[in-house]
Amino acid sequence: MSAIGAPTLWAASARHLLRHPAQLGLALLGLALGVATIVAVDIAVASSGKAFELSMEAVNGAATHEITGGPGGIDEQAYLALRRAAGPIALAPVVEGYVDVNDQTMQLIGIDPLVDTAVRGDTTSLGNVRVESARADQAGTAVPAGGGSAPTVVRGADAPPSRDSDGRAGKLARSASGAEQPPARASFDVASRWFTQPGTVVLAASTAQRLGITPGGTFTLSIGGRDYTATLLGQLEGTMTGYETLILTDISQAQEWLGLVGKLSRIDVRVPAGAEGERALARLRASLPSGLELHPAQRRTRQSLDMTAAFTTNLQAMSLLALLVGVFLIFSAISFAVVQRRRTLGVLRALGATRTGVLLMILIEAAILGIAGAAVGLLLGIAIGRELVALVSRTINDLYFVVAVNEVLIPPFAIVKALGAGLGVALFAAALPALEVANSAPQLGLRRSVIEQRAADASRWLLIAGAVLSGAVAAIVYLSERSLLAGFIALFLLLLAVAAITPAMLRALAQGAARLAGRFSPMARLSLGDISASLSRTGVAVSALGLAVAAMIGVSVMVESFRESLRAYLERTIRADLYVTAPGPGFGRPERRLDEGIVAAILALPALADHTESRRVVVDSPRGPVPIDALRLARSSHSSIPLTKGDPERVWAAFEQGAIVVSEPLSWHLQIGVGERLTLQTDRGPHDFPVAGVYREYGNDRGNVLMSRATYRELWQDDAITAMGLYLRPGSDLSAAKEQIRAISRGRQSLAVTSNADVRALSMRIFDRTFVITRVLYWLTAGVSAIGLVSALLAWELERSRELAIVRALGLTPRGAAAVIEAQTGFMGVAAWLAAIPGGLLTAVLLITVINRRAFGWMIDLHITGTQLANAFAVAMIAALVAGIYPAWRAARAPLASDIREE
Amino acid sequence: MLILENLSRSFREGGREHRVLDGVSARIASGQSVAIIGRSGSGKSTLLNVISGIDRADSGRVELDGREVSSLAEPERTRFRRQHIGFIYQFFNLVPTLNAEENVRLVLELNGVRGAEARRRSAAMLAEVGLGDRLGSAIDTFSGGEQQRVAIARALVHEPQLLLADEPTGNLDEETARQVFPLVLALVRKRGATLVLVTHDRTLAATADRTLVMRDGRLLEPAAATLES
Repeated sequence: MSAIGAPTLWAASARHLLRHPAQLGLALLGLALGVATIVAVDIAVASSGKAFELSMEAVNGAATHEITGGPGGIDEQAYLALRRAAGPIALAPVVEGYVDVNDQTMQLIGIDPLVDTAVRGDTTSLGNVRVESARADQAGTAVPAGGGSAPTVVRGADAPPSRDSDGRAGKLARSASGAEQPPARASFDVASRWFTQPGTVVLAASTAQRLGITPGGTFTLSIGGRDYTATLLGQLEGTMTGYETLILTDISQAQEWLGLVGKLSRIDVRVPAGAEGERALARLRASLPSGLELHPAQRRTRQSLDMTAAFTTNLQAMSLLALLVGVFLIFSAISFAVVQRRRTLGVLRALGATRTGVLLMILIEAAILGIAGAAVGLLLGIAIGRELVALVSRTINDLYFVVAVNEVLIPPFAIVKALGAGLGVALFAAALPALEVANSAPQLGLRRSVIEQRAADASRWLLIAGAVLSGAVAAIVYLSERSLLAGFIALFLLLLAVAAITPAMLRALAQGAARLAGRFSPMARLSLGDISASLSRTGVAVSALGLAVAAMIGVSVMVESFRESLRAYLERTIRADLYVTAPGPGFGRPERRLDEGIVAAILALPALADHTESRRVVVDSPRGPVPIDALRLARSSHSSIPLTKGDPERVWAAFEQGAIVVSEPLSWHLQIGVGERLTLQTDRGPHDFPVAGVYREYGNDRGNVLMSRATYRELWQDDAITAMGLYLRPGSDLSAAKEQIRAISRGRQSLAVTSNADVRALSMRIFDRTFVITRVLYWLTAGVSAIGLVSALLAWELERSRELAIVRALGLTPRGAAAVIEAQTGFMGVAAWLAAIPGGLLTAVLLITVINRRAFGWMIDLHITGTQLANAFAVAMIAALVAGIYPAWRAARAPLASDIREE
Repeated sequence: MLILENLSRSFREGGREHRVLDGVSARIASGQSVAIIGRSGSGKSTLLNVISGIDRADSGRVELDGREVSSLAEPERTRFRRQHIGFIYQFFNLVPTLNAEENVRLVLELNGVRGAEARRRSAAMLAEVGLGDRLGSAIDTFSGGEQQRVAIARALVHEPQLLLADEPTGNLDEETARQVFPLVLALVRKRGATLVLVTHDRTLAATADRTLVMRDGRLLEPAAATLES
């Protein structure tokens, strides 16, 4: 008969937990917060990723492949030639770009309805949406697209007769009043307006509603600083999430708005299944003119999401840190619950409960606690995740690609992970105390001194373990070279080393302080001596706090170092007096171009001494998309680019001759250095560029290629300019120059004209915004550790209530008792801080030289200030003192008589 | 018959070995009540732990009614203990989160007796110790003497062959002790169980059928103990 089968035993177990609601509640809250953090990050990352995938799916439809060209786009003539060679393969041209509508970023998609059906024919395509007529005189006329594309039906007159006769196209045609319209007439009417009325677009009904645009109404699209008027022709009813960020228009309209007349952004390809399709695909590939490439349709989505991998991995690692602190919390709660019941457990063993029974009882308790904590954490995580989505998607928009997240996705994996993490953490944390008590002889009332002696012995072993862990960290970092996973493992081991070393450090500090203070005050000796004499309680709590403080020091030193490195970088690189940029979302978007007339007028300004020109695009390479900054440098600009490899004189000479300079992140990711070659897809086909130098850059973590604008123009046939840096003559009035440029651009293009100080400030703002989420996650971790400390202190105070009662009976006032508790928690805060400093600084070094380097390729200079350590001290002290308030309050109010009498 | 044969048990304290039991031997007939007296630290409680299988002797053997307890491994030792041995402690050691009836019933449940049968037996046992009207009362509402009665009920509810009592009146006032211990003796005798009682109290010891003295880790007949001293 196992103890597990005895219901009374379970009643005893449950009642014990319920009799200590504060302990139970704090343990649950700590675990829930830890779980909530990982759930929130998963939700935020998954929602952003899914939103992007859906928008890509909506755009791609059933396309199996795509043909892409350079940033200048694909010549329409090439498309016509390919159509002739395509055979059974369906091709559909697409022109796309990003636009702003009422400060919201959306994707403009220009399609040719006549040919689109063949490519987007399945259920995920545009063809499955209804187009509702918008004109006032026939408001509400709805035309279904049926199985074909919306545009095909819209272009009613051009649609094959079968589409109207198969019953699908016309059935849903209905006016707003409910009167049915003849389907063919409705189709024809909408189609004719699609082609004949300039500026007509189609939006998802939900999007139109969100933007406050009614059918037939007009609104402004802002593209690269130019404003255009669009008319809402119809709404897409019942669309998938991906459509909510799309604006559909005719391809010729998109070409006009995006400045791509005669050009296509890409050609979507649908290859029929089977051998014939494969053969046709091979023929199509062979017939591609130079400069064009054929890829699987999913490649772009995958590449875009891959870009965020390092960013999301970092977030997930930060969230795991909160859970790691949660392990200590659960360990502390369970081990205390075990110690508190040691006598009872001894009685149970003496009465006949087996070791396995006791072990299972404790583990099942922990499992229930874990599942309950995980469930609460899941709900909390969903709530936090909803808020975090905005932060994550903002960072992705700032750094990677444009995505609008309108729907929060709760991935099933996150739910399983949360429950698994909660359960796993609880069982893992409970295993040690459970094994310890189950394997002990069932003697009653194991003496407190024995427990504390064991804790003291354990602290010595943990000190050794901490040293071994530190050695393991060094070995992992040294041996792994590039692995990010190994970097994170090293980081976690380092934090564990901090936690392992802390109890011994606390003991030594408390013993030393007790000896010192004891000379002056027996009360001080008692208070401080208690800390070292109760290491089984205080050690775990201070370890958790030490770990959190070490993480805080590490993260804040890393962020500050990064900030300082960026500030120095911006000081050096942003030197021109004024910067003129075509505004708009997304890095390297080709539609961001300065109007040629405006450029010419700016260059004619009398105050202009020199200038830089920059064209920022993203081009294909065999190793993925590569951002390019094609530069025409001013005479003094060369020295502003901080080369880290390569002799400046030779680098810039080679640069003008067609060589490229790569940024540190790109050099790291592609493992490419000076003297090696990088192949890029140009309009003339693949081209090998010699790498002349490597420069420091923090613009994006994908990395960047600098090449001369002349080289770029020659190879990509793209004369556009994204931005200019203007150097004014000495004594020129900056404000006047700004005003002149605004006057030049007024009515033609809305440009961002900013001073170097503004550019630096904006960059720093984006930087700070990027790290908001890091700070949020850090505070969640600190919150978990503070809860752990409160929980442990409460447990400790409960244990020693008799001792305090005796001292109070001897004359210590209630206020004095509270002060003793606060002094003790304050001391523990100091000890946690001291223990965390070396570990925190090492964490910073690891974050800077290993994690950031391996994840993003950035080189950051270590920057340590007293403020960072002072902030960490403040956090440790606040956490410790706040954690002591409730125990202090209890100690001051405890009924003396019963506390003294109790055994 | 309870047979103790040459039992030895040592503990390490710092670098020093402390020999608590040093060749303890005794034979106690079934149904006999034996009081073991001795100074604090003489090894009385350790002996009870070794007899019950809570602790293991370094050497020697314990046999109860022909079954060698000392050779049993876990969890057989635990099963043997819960079926054949009852325990009464100085500090009662009741489970504070269970009421009186539940404390008693727990032992039955551990022995596989469940539900109504377990409830009936635990209630009957509590009635026998005079607490039949307080089955559902919380433990901390009982006086010391009443708590010890609950502990006695718990120790005997499963009809053990052997009852081990470690200073059962040590935490009770004289008056209460005078009421409680005769109750223990009466119940034990009624069931024909063997009682091994550890106590400082010579008056209490005198009520047992036989008295043994624990001295320097050995168990001696009183006459031998007197001679040795």
